[in-house]
Amino acid sequence: MSVAIRLTVNGERHDLTVGATETLVSVLRDRLGMTGTHKDCCMGICGSCTVLVDDRPVSSCLLLAAQIDSQSVRTVEGLERDGSLSPLQEAFLTFGAVQCGYCTPGFLMTATALLEENPRPGRAEIVEALKGNLCRCTGYKKIVEAVEAVANG
Amino acid sequence: MSGCRFTVARTAAEAVAGLAEADGEAHIIAGGVALVLLMNEGLLQPSWLIDVSRAAELQGIDVADDGAIRIGAAVTHREVAASARLASVCPMLAEMAAEIACGRVMNRGTVGGSICLADPQGDPPAALLALDATFRLAGPEGGRDVAARDFFRDLYVTALTENELLQHVRIAPPPTAHRGTAFGKYAARQAMDYASTVSAAVSLARDPADGSMSDIGLGLGGCGTIPVWPQKTEAALRGRRPDTEAFAAMRAALAEETAPIGDMLYSADYKRHVAAVILERTIKAAYRRAGGGGPDP
Repeated sequence: MSVAIRLTVNGERHDLTVGATETLVSVLRDRLGMTGTHKDCCMGICGSCTVLVDDRPVSSCLLLAAQIDSQSVRTVEGLERDGSLSPLQEAFLTFGAVQCGYCTPGFLMTATALLEENPRPGRAEIVEALKGNLCRCTGYKKIVEAVEAVANG
Repeated sequence: MSGCRFTVARTAAEAVAGLAEADGEAHIIAGGVALVLLMNEGLLQPSWLIDVSRAAELQGIDVADDGAIRIGAAVTHREVAASARLASVCPMLAEMAAEIACGRVMNRGTVGGSICLADPQGDPPAALLALDATFRLAGPEGGRDVAARDFFRDLYVTALTENELLQHVRIAPPPTAHRGTAFGKYAARQAMDYASTVSAAVSLARDPADGSMSDIGLGLGGCGTIPVWPQKTEAALRGRRPDTEAFAAMRAALAEETAPIGDMLYSADYKRHVAAVILERTIKAAYRRAGGGGPDP
């Protein structure tokens, strides 16, 4: 059975017909060609597929697209403004917070939501917010430093 | 495209009607964090999904003036963790919800989903056992109440029939002004730990005159094939002060009525040991909140 939904993805409206069991990460990658959102464990454990739905981080591998009709989705592709990286993305480059890069979009979206909710988080709050995202290159120190740099302005 | 049907229920009645029409073939979905995981793993291929995440009667947290609590089944763990009113009346619930998995799971996962999945490691079931909560089920005959302590029947088996869904959870007002509640958990990882997690939920009243404990409610996660309500352990503690003797009696009773499942990280014996340590610490925390003093656990 197909389900008609309307999603706003990074500010752009999409009218889509999706399968009842199609996950948001599949819709983003396979239908909309937005491959910035990475698909990995498909169990909600790794955090690679984190996107923001109505500004809150969620695992897009555990979310059926049919369930979020008329809601707004933000992905890593939406972080740039007028061709410029966001301050958080710039900080990731400056601090070397990117190694293989697979986990990076998930970390960026989780940290973006944190900074929007709490623009001046302390180190403990940053670590708490990022605790569900895995970096198998184990580059956590640089990632936390990058978020901290943005938080400290 | 899958052959699965998908229905959005705007009310509990619509969900009940959908369940009846599907004649046992439908699955209720709310946050999806457990159900979609099972689908991704190939363990579940639903033929009909009924989405109750926006159903009216399943929303909201209400705390009455006397401290009675109602939590809609589709309320997310994030909402429970963020409710200041709930935290003031029953700190254990906010404490429990704030430690579930991680932020993005808390944002989607629901109280009702955790209860109905009935995972023996689940945190909300342990908390609701300790609080002697009542579950309101919506069904074809209008609905019925089931005590949390009668709800969990066997591994992933509950009192729900195939034509029912969970509508809300109710918790009675505190029995006395001297009640303390606390939630404690041991996990190998701080985030997202699952198989090896042992948790303890405690609600108790402290007699201001002699410091003894009464109205003790306990709930345990990770200590058996279902969320465990350890009645003998409650009895072993009743009427005592939280001293060395009381905790020795607690450990003996606990060993009798818990049967944790060993996993790749920890043996059943080790989990039983950890359960006693976590339960003791959590009792001390609840006792302190009840005005009993004592060092931080």
